[in-house]
Order: sequence, then structure tokens, then C-alpha cells
Amino acid sequence: MTDLLRVRDLSTRFFTEEGQINAVENVSFTVEAGSVLGVVGESGSGKSVTGLSLIDLVESPGRITSGEIWYNNADLAERVDGDRPEAVDGDFVDLRRLSEAERRSLRGSAFSMIFQDPMSSFNPSITVGEQIAEAAEVQRRASANPRSTRSRTQGYGLGKLLLDGVLPDRSYTSAESWDRAVELLERVGIPDPAERAEEYPHQFSGGMLQRAMIAQALAGDPDLLVADEPTTALDVTIQAQILDLLADLQETMEMSVVLITHNLGVIARVADRVSVMYAGEVVERGTLEDVFDDPVHPYTKGLLGSVPDIDRPGERLEPIAGNVPDLVDANMPDRCYFADRCPKAMTDCLTRPPEYDVSEGHRARCVLAEREYSEADAVPEGRLSGPTDDAGTPGGGSVGPGESGASDRSSETDAEVSDD
Amino acid sequence: MTDPLVTVDGLEKYYYENDTLLDRLTGAEREAVRAVDGVSFEVREGETLGVVGESGCGKSTLAETLMRLREPTGGSVTFDGDPVYELSGDDMDAFRRRAQVMFQDPFSSLDPRMTAGEIITEPLAIHGVGTGAERRERAETLLEEVGLSADQIDRYPHEFSGGQRQRIGFARALAIDPEFVVLDEPVSALDVSVQAQVLNLLADMQAERDLTYLFIAHDLSVVRHISDRVAVMYLGEIVEIGPTEEIFEDPQHPYTKALLESVPRADTDERDRVVETIRGDVPSPRDPPSGCSFRTRCPELIQPPWLDAPQAAFREISEFRTRIENGDIDVDTRWEQVGDPDREDRAAFVDSLYAEAFDEDLPDDDEGTVREAIRALADGDREAAAATLRERYRSPCEAVDPALPAGEHPSACLLNEQPDDVEAAREEWEADRDAPGVGASSR
Ligand code: SF4
Ligand code: SF4
Repeated sequence: MTDLLRVRDLSTRFFTEEGQINAVENVSFTVEAGSVLGVVGESGSGKSVTGLSLIDLVESPGRITSGEIWYNNADLAERVDGDRPEAVDGDFVDLRRLSEAERRSLRGSAFSMIFQDPMSSFNPSITVGEQIAEAAEVQRRASANPRSTRSRTQGYGLGKLLLDGVLPDRSYTSAESWDRAVELLERVGIPDPAERAEEYPHQFSGGMLQRAMIAQALAGDPDLLVADEPTTALDVTIQAQILDLLADLQETMEMSVVLITHNLGVIARVADRVSVMYAGEVVERGTLEDVFDDPVHPYTKGLLGSVPDIDRPGERLEPIAGNVPDLVDANMPDRCYFADRCPKAMTDCLTRPPEYDVSEGHRARCVLAEREYSEADAVPEGRLSGPTDDAGTPGGGSVGPGESGASDRSSETDAEVSDD
Repeated sequence: MTDPLVTVDGLEKYYYENDTLLDRLTGAEREAVRAVDGVSFEVREGETLGVVGESGCGKSTLAETLMRLREPTGGSVTFDGDPVYELSGDDMDAFRRRAQVMFQDPFSSLDPRMTAGEIITEPLAIHGVGTGAERRERAETLLEEVGLSADQIDRYPHEFSGGQRQRIGFARALAIDPEFVVLDEPVSALDVSVQAQVLNLLADMQAERDLTYLFIAHDLSVVRHISDRVAVMYLGEIVEIGPTEEIFEDPQHPYTKALLESVPRADTDERDRVVETIRGDVPSPRDPPSGCSFRTRCPELIQPPWLDAPQAAFREISEFRTRIENGDIDVDTRWEQVGDPDREDRAAFVDSLYAEAFDEDLPDDDEGTVREAIRALADGDREAAAATLRERYRSPCEAVDPALPAGEHPSACLLNEQPDDVEAAREEWEADRDAPGVGASSR
């Protein structure tokens, strides 16, 4: 399978008053063309910021500080030539080396994104159809003439992805784009799409609006859809509908999807490959089977052990002790970030572990990929009480604006990343 | 079998909209939102009764009404023999001590300037239990019991993580030594690893203190994990209740089945598991469907005795009928789409709408009836279109309201055992109507 995206050593930091926050730390992964990569992690793991980084939507005070995002696109590669390292063969370009204008023109057409809360992605005073038509129109004009595009849905979710500009005061969309909007609404399973297109966002139920947001994201026929907790705010019966829809669209439109979620069941339902994130790092990645059936990293194992199993209820859950570190650079220890919670921590873990190969395509940032656990090497009690273990420190590090968690998780809880 | 500690009988909580004085003067219709619509069950001593349902099913209103944080609009709750809604004075005081509630965010209603110690001891202070020093000591013990440390007693809520705050909330609920604790979504805001810690704590404390729990949640895996019995709610009603094992292994009500099937499993076989998703959304509690409240989404919707269509076809027809009855299909827009502004090519209209609405292959008779209805629609006669479909495709589920019978594992569905009066109503409905002719004028 060809790769659509190869991400190398990507780091995204936020420069806040509390200090530098390492939201995404040296992250590498590959998105294969026409497949689904699941990115799973708890709040504060950096998974949402990773998604935003991919499509260049990190906002101040955050910024991508290093790394490469290689995108496979023959047209672009021909236009932009630059040095490509040996390992990146084929028609890849590093998105980070493109001009700002060039990068922007890829939003919506090459890359698109959907979010947890569809309500905030639509302008409440414009009909749903018009907003989708506008996305279609922007794409149409962008491909015709990259400089003529303006959007009124700017500032609302996907609108933010679309090009900058001031809104004209007349109806902006062509009949052609309107038809396309109706077609897209039908494609995402909205009954009576022509009628529903005339309605306003508040007239849609949560599930219907989620579908509409997907329709809007598809308007530019993207190669890659980044879906950040797309079903977290939905009830489970509606979640099942939306997951089916995503899987169906992904297949028929031959898109790639990066699905970001905290829900391991959602990952298992749709992902081909999985990246597990912890404290800004990808700690384990591989196929769904690698990660779920043959996990190496104790955090991956802990996560799987924490979820009550609906089919095989056990007597007792095995939670991971402790809490996620706060990601403030000054507090991040120079050892495995998980060591203070890890039941298998050894003296080897006191230097930062690299990503080890477990098997072809299966990698883990843990010494256990290389060696067995041995009690003789266990870290002596007390050696691990670094700044992150101080039970009294409030979760000082807010993890950047985009980190979303479960629907009802307050933003405060999100920022809260230490001690429990 | 253990005795019930709490008995809920026919509990009802309606909210009224358009109920201001002005509305009454102008004669605006008073609109009832049936948040809890006649619910009966009991909570037995020492058990955990889980209540599951999706948003808007009324489970949180149920908790608040049961605890008398809101007054009911009907029905009764008995706590250890006492009628809760009739208590006053010392008796009410005693109830408030014996029964406690903990919410998803126990701090949203508390003063953020209170310390952990003050939060925990407030119920003791309200009920005048102990001296200041004794209360403080009690708070320290409780902090340790819920897995925090006594020296955190003077910290403020914002200094704690989500999981820790939940522990403090729980300590507060336990401060006054209750027998019964209502837990409303206590772990749903927490990350899974922390959620597991709190679930273990709840289980430990229950065992230690012989607590009785009413555990309300939308997460079915969590409910299965913690509950002895489970009640499933839909649109303000309990549709099924029974022992946890039976509910999960042998669900009776079509909604329970759909709910269980919808939960994605964290398992590598999940990709290949066929999930029969239920369509559509939960209807508004302002305007619940007639008959069975689940019928607009029910995969097992019962066919009338004169019909024997494939179930999938019957469901598609029923959904199409609902769209016509609700006026969701705009005839003008349709004609435009057909591209025939003069509205002459009726056959094209019929073909277009039929192709869009039906994925299933309908039996010939049924296809004929449906096309007949669409023809009426093309002529602008929505009522005739609806009548044609209603005549042949009405379901007992829309006429007869199923009840939740007594017993260990009842289900409020006409496919399951129903009380005599419901059975009688159904027989009457069936007898009342003769089989209609088959697509009479369609050939
Ligand atoms: S590197 Fe060591 S401390 Fe880190 S996860 Fe692996 S075993 Fe645990
Ligand atoms: S009564 Fe009818 S509609 Fe209701 S759950 Fe049973 S079969 Fe479904």
C-alpha cells in the first residue's frame, strides 16, 4: 500500500506564561493511502494537537517547532522541488517547507477536518445547505483561481480551514455549488436533503448536524480527513451510525482518515493502524492487532486493562496508578515519561527510551521491546519522585487549545494533567 | 430476596412550557415535557441498581426527583417505609441524612473558595453533627478512606485533578454515613485509567459500609461492571429491568438489544462484528410517539395481522410513511429536482422519489401501494398519500402502549409478555379493523 503521509519527528510546543509546554514530542507515524489511522490517548496526551499540526491549524501561542510532514502528491512534487532524504522516495513534499499560501490552498482540498462539536462548526444564522455550498464553492474557485476565494463561514470550524477574506454581502454561492451541497447531504445519509439544506443548524439534531459537518468536510474531495473525537458527544446508537458512515465514506471515496479518540472501542471498530499517545509522545504503534493483541508498552496494556469489558465483565479493574504528567518542559524528566506510573520500571528506563522495533511496522518506546523485565533491575522505591509526582502540584499545564476529551469533560479537567 | 429500601411507584415529572401568566392570558397551549413518564421500580438493600439510557431519556431527572430535589408531578417514592414526598420536619431531615446524591461534577454547585475539608464537612455542619474539631477529624479520616491524604484537607478544589475531585465529592456524600447513595454519572468525565480507579473505590466502599447504590450512567460497560440489576430507560420510561447478567446476555426489549449492539468493543474482532444500527434520532419528549415510544426506531416494529412483508421492507415503508405524515417531503422541491416545472411527468416524479426512498426490494403488492401513495403526493394531496399508507401499514405498536409488567425481568414491548389490559387493547385494535384491500386502485 502506498503512503499518503509520513510524519517524522514532529514536535509542537506552546509558549505560555507557565512555561513551554511540549504538547507533541518527536512524533512519527505513517498514514497509508485509503486507510484509517487511529490515534488514541487520554486527555493531555497530545492527540488533538497532533491532528491540528497535520493540517497546520495550531494557533498561537503554539507552533510546530520541528519535524517533517511528507505528503504524497505528484503534482505538488513536480512544482516544488527540494531535497528529499533517501528514505522518502516517491512524489513526496514536506508540507512544512511549502509557502504559507501553498499550504493554505491544501486545506479543504487535500486535507479536511471534523470536530467533536458540530454546533460550533456552523454559523447559526446561515442555512446548512448554504454553508456546505460555500465550502464547495471555495474549492471550485480555488482550483480555478487560487486567489479569488473568500468565505463567510470563516471562524466556524471548517470555515477556519478555508481561505482568509472578507465576506461579500450578497449570496455568494452558485447554483452548481448548491446542487453539490444537496448531493453531499444525501451522500452522508440525510433524508430529504433538498428540504433539509434550507434549514438552519439549530433545526438539526446532534447526529444530523454531525453528518452535515462531514458533508461540509467532504466538499473539497480531500485525500485526508482528520476526525477529532467525531462521536464523543453522541449517544451510542447515533455513534454507531456515524462510525458506519465514516467507514463507508472512507472506502468509497478512497480517503485516508486520521481518527483521534479516547475510546478504544471506536478505534477497534474503524482503524487499520493505531498510534497510542502518552504525554505528547507516540509510545506504541502498529496494526490494530499488534497494539490490541500484542501490546508491549505497559501504558498500552494499562489502557486496555482499564476499560470494563461489556462482554466479559471482570471482578476488578486494573487501573493505571497515578496521573499524566503536565507536559511543562521544565517538569519533564529526562527518563521514560511513564516511569513514575509504570509497574515495570527498571534502571534502564532512567534514560529516555528510543522507539524500538518490535516487529515489522510495530514499534514501542519502551525498553521491554528489547529485554525482559527483571526484578533485580527494578528502580528502587523513591527514585522516581520527580516534579511530576508531587501530589500537591495542581495541574498547571494547560495542554493547548485544541485538546478535546469526552463530551462532558470540562475544559478544566482537560488541562488537569497531574496527580490523582 | 432482600427487602426494598426504595420503592418508586408511577413516578412522573413533567415540565411545562408556555406556562407563564402571559401565555395563559393569550391562551397559548400549555406544553408538557414528559421528562419522567410513569416509572416504577425498587432498589433493594445492599444492591447497586444501574440506570442506563441516552441523553434526554430522563435518567438524571429521575435521580433528582427521587431525592426530592425536585417535586414530582405524580407518583410516589417510599424510603424504608416512609413516603418521601410527604415527609417534613425531623422526618425529612432524617431522610436527607440517610440518602445522599453525588453528581458528575460535585463542585459545580459549591463555592470554589471552600477547602476540601469544608466541602466534606458541610453536610455534618448542616445537620449539626459533632464539634468543629470532630468534624475536621472526620474529614481527615474520610480523605484517607477515599484514597487521598489527610494533609490535603486545606487545599482548594482547583488544586485537585478531576479524579481527585470526584473522590472528594464521594467523601462528602459519605460524611454523614448514609445508607443510600445516588451516583449520577460519577465517572463519565474522567479518563479511562482514572475512571477505573474511582470505580474500584465505589465498589470497595459499598462492601465496607453496606451501601445501597442507584448508579446512573450512559456507559453500558461501566454499568455492567458495577450493577447487580439494571434498568434501561427510553423517553422517560423504563423499558426493561432485570438482573445485570440477564439484561446483557438475554435482553428482551428491542431498544436494549440495539443499545447493547451499538457499543463498540475494544477488540480486534470488532471490525467484522455486524451491527444492525437503529436509524434516526430519539424523538422529543415534548411530543412522544403514540403507542410504544420506541416505535419510530424499532427494528422489530410489529406488522398488522393482514400483512406479511419482509421486515426490512415493512420498516422502510413505515419510515417513508412517517416522512409523508411529518411533511418532510416538499413536493415543490421534488418537482424541481425532477426537472419538470410544468408538473406533467407524474411517472418521473414517482420513479425519482421511489428510487430515493427504497433500497429494499418491495413485494409487488407493496410497491404498487407505495407508488399509489407517491402519485397522490405528486398531485399535492399529502393527506391521501398518508391515508393510503396508513390503511395498509399501520402497526399495533402505534395504537397500543406497552406496559412494564411486574416480575424479575420484565420488558415493555408488545412482543414480550404484557399485562391483561394491554393484551385486551391489542386484541380490540386487531378486531376493530378488517384487512384492507391490497393496493386497490394501483393496477
Ligand atoms: S521504558 Fe521502562 S518505565 Fe518506560 S514504559 Fe517501558 S518499562 Fe516502563
Ligand atoms: S412494542 Fe413494537 S415498537 Fe415497541 S419495542 Fe416492541 S416491537 Fe418495537
